[in-house]
Amino acid sequence: MTELPGKELAQELIQKSREESRSTPMEAVITAAREGKFHGEEGFRLIGRLWTLERLFYYIYGGWGQGLEIGDFSPSVKYLFSRQIMDESTHEMLYLDMLLRKRWVRTQKEAFQHPYGQFAIDSALAYHAFSLRNLATYPHSVRIAALNLGAKILELGWMEGLAEVLTDEDLRSVFTSQFVENRSHINMGRRIVEECVSKPFEAELCRWACKVARRDYCMFLQELSDVVLGREPVVEARTIPLRVND
Amino acid sequence: MPTLKIDHERCTECRMCYLACRELNLNAVYVALEPLHRLEIDPHKCTYPVCTVCLAYCPAEGSIVEAESGRWLVPPPPDVHRWWLKPVSV
Repeated sequence: MTELPGKELAQELIQKSREESRSTPMEAVITAAREGKFHGEEGFRLIGRLWTLERLFYYIYGGWGQGLEIGDFSPSVKYLFSRQIMDESTHEMLYLDMLLRKRWVRTQKEAFQHPYGQFAIDSALAYHAFSLRNLATYPHSVRIAALNLGAKILELGWMEGLAEVLTDEDLRSVFTSQFVENRSHINMGRRIVEECVSKPFEAELCRWACKVARRDYCMFLQELSDVVLGREPVVEARTIPLRVND
Repeated sequence: MPTLKIDHERCTECRMCYLACRELNLNAVYVALEPLHRLEIDPHKCTYPVCTVCLAYCPAEGSIVEAESGRWLVPPPPDVHRWWLKPVSV
């Protein structure tokens, strides 16, 4: 059997992201929930902001899809990407359903207009989304490494932590029902890196992109944590670009 | 009143019912909070037989049925096919 060229790199990226996954700014939200300080209003803020980010994935993946060419990657890589788009859309629907189910908003239109559901350009959420969209001009393997072996691992980490302490069954299920798909996205990322990343400069690009995605996602999580817990926002955009050898 | 349910053996999860229902602001079709994330119909929100919009857009024969009788409603039989382009007040 042929050895997969990117096997070690995938393990390295996964390991690095796992190390960070339980020390994100969402730990403050998990602690608040554990101490019984997470109620309906906090849930509304959390789901509202997560729904807003999920909506942005239509924009991110739209850009990424344009960057795929016939013959540049195997059909299986493209199938996995389309599967991921579908899953992300499901998560967007889950969050909107929850906003409606809890009667935090009465209509879809109201959800778009509510401050918790609005997209603002001067936000860490936008920064993270634009940063991911910006990867549209990179090889698909690089951007999938960034998202699935970077931000997605952090996301699964805090979601598992939060689901353990949430007492509201509906809210808990919004997260637990995503676990299979989230794990599958991580496995997709692992497979794509293992199979498609063989050259040293591609590996360096993956390391760089993964670091950028983790950094920007953590900025979003800081903003999210502040919004959920009603704290003054402390997020400041880090304007110094990361370089490949940072 | 009769209610609707989705037959998951036949449903292709194309989500047209979800979109149509959401556009009318009935929000009766929802994503189930389980790992398969199948679509379900909330009988408390669904106004069938007043609204039948999901039946009009469903492409999979027999995938939406009357829960009580098991009657296939896709494609919609002539006696139940009436739906509105504008939201209905419920």
